[in-house]
Amino acid sequence: MALVPDTLPDPQPTVWFCSHCGSHEDTEDDATPSRVCDDCGLGVLLETRADIAPREDGAFLVLDHNLAVCAVSAAAERLLATSETEAVHRHLTQLLVPADAEASAPVNLASAVTWAANGDDASHTVTVRPATTFGIRLTARIAHCSPPRAALLVFD
Amino acid sequence: MLNVSPNTLRAWERRFGFPKPQRSPGKHRLFTHGEVAALRDALQEGLSISSAVSRAREGLAADSNSLVGALVSFERDRADAAIEAALALRSVERSVEEVLLPTLDEIVRRQGTDSAAWAFAAHWGADWLRRAMRLAPPPIRPVSIVLGDASRDELDPDAPYIRALELFCVRSGISVLSLSARGVSGIGDAISVHQPNLVVLAGGYLSDDTVARWAYAVRLAAGAMPVAVYRRGDQRVRMRTTGTSVLPGGAGEAQRRLLELVETDQAATPAREPASPAEHGAGAESAPHRRATGTDGP
Repeated sequence: MALVPDTLPDPQPTVWFCSHCGSHEDTEDDATPSRVCDDCGLGVLLETRADIAPREDGAFLVLDHNLAVCAVSAAAERLLATSETEAVHRHLTQLLVPADAEASAPVNLASAVTWAANGDDASHTVTVRPATTFGIRLTARIAHCSPPRAALLVFD
Repeated sequence: MLNVSPNTLRAWERRFGFPKPQRSPGKHRLFTHGEVAALRDALQEGLSISSAVSRAREGLAADSNSLVGALVSFERDRADAAIEAALALRSVERSVEEVLLPTLDEIVRRQGTDSAAWAFAAHWGADWLRRAMRLAPPPIRPVSIVLGDASRDELDPDAPYIRALELFCVRSGISVLSLSARGVSGIGDAISVHQPNLVVLAGGYLSDDTVARWAYAVRLAAGAMPVAVYRRGDQRVRMRTTGTSVLPGGAGEAQRRLLELVETDQAATPAREPASPAEHGAGAESAPHRRATGTDGP
């Protein structure tokens, strides 16, 4: 019956991870799934592509389409010398700024975050540095996560 | 409702200060339905606990904002509706502490105490607190206090705090007699009827001399007893009266501190005034009032 081949790409496998500790959770086993992480209790579970998902105890941020910080993982709190409660609702550029002078125009930090937060499935790699620190360059992958729609910025 | 463990709730309380529980007499945490419901709704669309807490707080603060709006617009019905909405989510104590008193403070800050808005708000607040007092259950604790009101009048910014303290005490089962600290004549009659365990001097308007005269009259009538000072102002917290305690500025904290003071005093009383078994039995009815025999008046 497959007269017309399916032109859509195979859906990417996804995982659920905690917005605070990064641990991966299998939500299908729970009879009454909670959005709160069972391991640390300090983060909510978000879904993203398996190849992009942060590792456990990884450093990452979650941002909305206004480039406002929505979540800061425990490792990112240490890396950026901030706390989630302080960073939430602040603009991304108060924490991170682009640090790749040779970057070509199409993909920069702001546009990559905006695209991801609007649901773009592609992932982008950018180079950034902490806003208050010079001489440090961090590579970060940016991709979509949900729910609700947001951008996930994972430090490599 | 939140589908999380008690440990997680405690962790949130430590890290985010929310939800903020009250304590039962047995020291168990009592979370308000409003806070938990607001957090549950915020978590549905949150990307982190921090952002959910922030959103839940904003939702709860809306009650305070709507009450400010109603009062500065001189709309009594809207103000009643706003405080009713706050009561749907909180206990009376928390509605007073988190909505009513901050609202009145905000109006004083914005409009000043000589404004019509403050006159309206202060009157509405006093009226609401009086209504709440009338609905309070009768006293059940063996504790009685006399509250000497040293505020100016209804327009004194301390007055709502004093009324709130009175309300909280009454709601916690304490018998309260509130008197203006201007009225000294005949105070012995009032004391002999009420037989207080503790005296509270509240408000910062009346002079130290006036307040001291009133306190002296109470002391003559009732004998030595603990005295606590509430919202007398920082510059006047050092009173010469021995054993004076300064209560915290928040009405809820002050009420809890008052209870501690009374309990401490009641625990210390047997050591100071050892009673014989016969006296103990005969005095069972008046045991709540430890100065049942010391009320002859000045």
